[in-house]
Amino acid sequence: MEGQAPLLRPDPLGRFGRFGGKFVPETLIYALSELESAFHSLAGDQDFQKELEGILRDYVGRESPLYFAERLTEHYRRPNGEGPHIYLKREDLNHTGAHKINNAVAQALLAKRLGKKRVIAETGAGQHGVATATVCARFGLQCVVYMGAQDMERQALNVFRMRLLGAEVRAVHSGTATLKDATSEAIRDWVTNVETTLYILGSVCGPHPYPMMVREFQAVIGRETRRQAMEKWGGKPDVLLACVGGGSNAMGLFHEFVDDRDVRMIGVEAAGLGLESGKHAATLTKGEVGVLHGAMSYLLQDEEGQIIEPHSISAGLDYPGVGPEHSFLKDIGSAEYYSITDEEALEAFKRLSRLEGIIPALETSHALAYLEELCPTLPNGAKVVINCSGRGDKDVQTAYTHLQM
Amino acid sequence: MTCNVQNYVLLTNKIYTKRTQASNPERSRSLPSASSFRVVCAVEEQTSTSTSIALNRISMPLDMEISEEKKKKKSLGEVGGGKFGRYGGKYVPETLITCLAKLEAEFNLVLHDPDFQAELTMALRDYVGRETPLYFAKRLTNHYKDEYGEGPEIYIKREDLNHGGSHKMNNAIAQAMIAKRMGRTSVMASTGAGQHGVATAAACAKLSLKCTVFMGTTDMEKQSSNVLLMNLLGAEVKPVKGNFKDASSQAIREWVGSLETSYYLTGTVVGPHPCPSMVREFQSVIGKETRTQAMEKWGGKPDVLVACVGSGSNALGFFHEFVEDQDVRLIGVEAAGFGLDSGKHAATLARGEVGVYHGAMSYLLQDSEGQIQRPHSVGVGLEYPGVSPELSFLKDNGRAEFYTATDKEAIEAYERLCRLEGIFPALEAAHAFAYLEKLCPTLPNGTRVVVNCSGRGYKDAARVFDILGHPS
Repeated sequence: MEGQAPLLRPDPLGRFGRFGGKFVPETLIYALSELESAFHSLAGDQDFQKELEGILRDYVGRESPLYFAERLTEHYRRPNGEGPHIYLKREDLNHTGAHKINNAVAQALLAKRLGKKRVIAETGAGQHGVATATVCARFGLQCVVYMGAQDMERQALNVFRMRLLGAEVRAVHSGTATLKDATSEAIRDWVTNVETTLYILGSVCGPHPYPMMVREFQAVIGRETRRQAMEKWGGKPDVLLACVGGGSNAMGLFHEFVDDRDVRMIGVEAAGLGLESGKHAATLTKGEVGVLHGAMSYLLQDEEGQIIEPHSISAGLDYPGVGPEHSFLKDIGSAEYYSITDEEALEAFKRLSRLEGIIPALETSHALAYLEELCPTLPNGAKVVINCSGRGDKDVQTAYTHLQM
Repeated sequence: MTCNVQNYVLLTNKIYTKRTQASNPERSRSLPSASSFRVVCAVEEQTSTSTSIALNRISMPLDMEISEEKKKKKSLGEVGGGKFGRYGGKYVPETLITCLAKLEAEFNLVLHDPDFQAELTMALRDYVGRETPLYFAKRLTNHYKDEYGEGPEIYIKREDLNHGGSHKMNNAIAQAMIAKRMGRTSVMASTGAGQHGVATAAACAKLSLKCTVFMGTTDMEKQSSNVLLMNLLGAEVKPVKGNFKDASSQAIREWVGSLETSYYLTGTVVGPHPCPSMVREFQSVIGKETRTQAMEKWGGKPDVLVACVGSGSNALGFFHEFVEDQDVRLIGVEAAGFGLDSGKHAATLARGEVGVYHGAMSYLLQDSEGQIQRPHSVGVGLEYPGVSPELSFLKDNGRAEFYTATDKEAIEAYERLCRLEGIFPALEAAHAFAYLEKLCPTLPNGTRVVVNCSGRGYKDAARVFDILGHPS
């Protein structure tokens, strides 16, 4: 492999190997190209970068710390005193409590630069919706969030929050009235209002240039990690661990290190009630290749090509697709993907709370749960960095019900 | 008397010009009768946690740079024994005096221990997430511009971004570290709204200390989500019939029964000396960062600081750095609840009278018979019938100004900040933001106002939801 030029991720057509692309109606092609050119020109624009940096620092609260989890490390220490060193990248400390805002602020700033006055988004449990409404409030942009009617009922408080932030929340009744239907509706809106509107996609999914853009905006996580690792132990992480729903927090951590052969990248999906139960969201493990929401990727589909309703205790991982770049990294063997059940995630949720006083999001708990299997296999002193992608205040009620504390 | 100084920690090298009062006749006999004498005290490093009785009687916070600290203390009103003018003090039963003295000695040691400070700095950075940003609130600033486009510049000190969601963690982590250092295995705390309880539970989990939080049953009902958080973090939440004052009384009662093994972690700047000074010291990081950040951002100081006042920890932490700067206005905003005349408020400095409560002399809400009144505010963390003795002093000497905001004004401010900046302030902090409505029109163009956003109010959306009756 020496001397081979690194593969373009993505290529000019937005493909990662055979994945990705732009499977959209003709009306959107122009908007996507416009978005792509704007993105590339702003990447080199010093003013834009400086403004974005200032917002990430003063509004979002970056940089997020790389925290040495002493008690968690002790927990995984073997009887002979050996074991890996566990670090947490604290995306839970960001404004709004998750990594989502990194992408939301950047896209909102992009919208302003493009002269768009209106922003739309889709949301499942409401996290991405609240993040989007948050940045729209900050930037004074009109905001419409599409949400499945079923989800709206279950998440009444998040709906209220979005409205407090000045956003309009539109109920979607079609299909199963959940996330995938909200996404389709949002795309329909965008097709109609493409001149005035930017569609803020929450993850590294969707048609090109979104997977690339969202990854670039989340890549600040990995860049900071590299610098912080150098400061803390004069080297690189040995293992990167992150949960995978759509895949944005994982890509944000991994991207910086994709070309570092000595850094292992592990993504953890939701096995829900178990892989054999059929009630899970382990797309990369159990999915098949197809097109969903404008991109070719692995997805959970039945023999007739209908999308299978995924399940996970954590709403953020409850997505039947996955980012095309993850599909690619899996296929070429650059990254490894495993899955964790609801029960294992809840155990990990409790464990981090008790050992470090940090309550992780249930999504993040999936990554933390994988430590149980991973740590015994790691050499002494291996440096593991887990992306603590969000805080778990929002999940306390759910956890309580399930853990019957 | 000579001794080998290598293994000793120098504690004080003060020149006393007044004879120190000592109730121990033995000791007073041994002191020279001259009107001024130098006292040099040191203790063996290993036994630093058990101080000599002589030290127990010297209740002045220790300082290495004598003249600077002394000057500061004079203007802060501290003359020893934790007094701020006539406020503060140590109105506690004899059983607690030794304990408080030990605590004070330990506190003074850690202040000057570079290892402790380095460890605390790292914990504040990597665990708590400091430093918190000083954020220019552009849309809020525009909101307060007049028809000529003039108005003050509003900055927000983002304590809402701390781990745990409020400034409470600054103090909890530092004191939990002290508890560990003192060899204690368990921590007790009392909490009203639950923020301090949650912060303490988290810090104890991290430092593997057993944690017991006492909470009033009425508060537990209102703040059930905080109770869940504490349980999750491994703390035991002990219900006490009543509210915060009953919970703290019970907590102290149980603590007295296990003084050797437990540490009582105070959440705020009230209580007997050294608690107010300790908590203020650990919260003062807020003001210190603000000074540095203001210098970086506009090459100067803030003109006005605004903070909400319950018992006063976030306000003091914010103000302390600037008390000597006469050109910086200090404004505290208390809770006027349903209105100052309704009797349902928590505006201690506005409507209280001086008395002794929880071991310190301060303003407090009491009726004509001296019974403590039940405070009310939509910002539950502001529902404390007393207030910091130091703030009482700053009010009396005119250094700081205190106003109030009603529940209604606070909720409006909550909505305003959400809509204009996408930030949910804690309902407590919303009181500070509410005062901007009255303050801004009076300020000259370009005045720099910094508001301490002491906590996040994501959770408070539920409360606002109930109160506003589900608007569209």
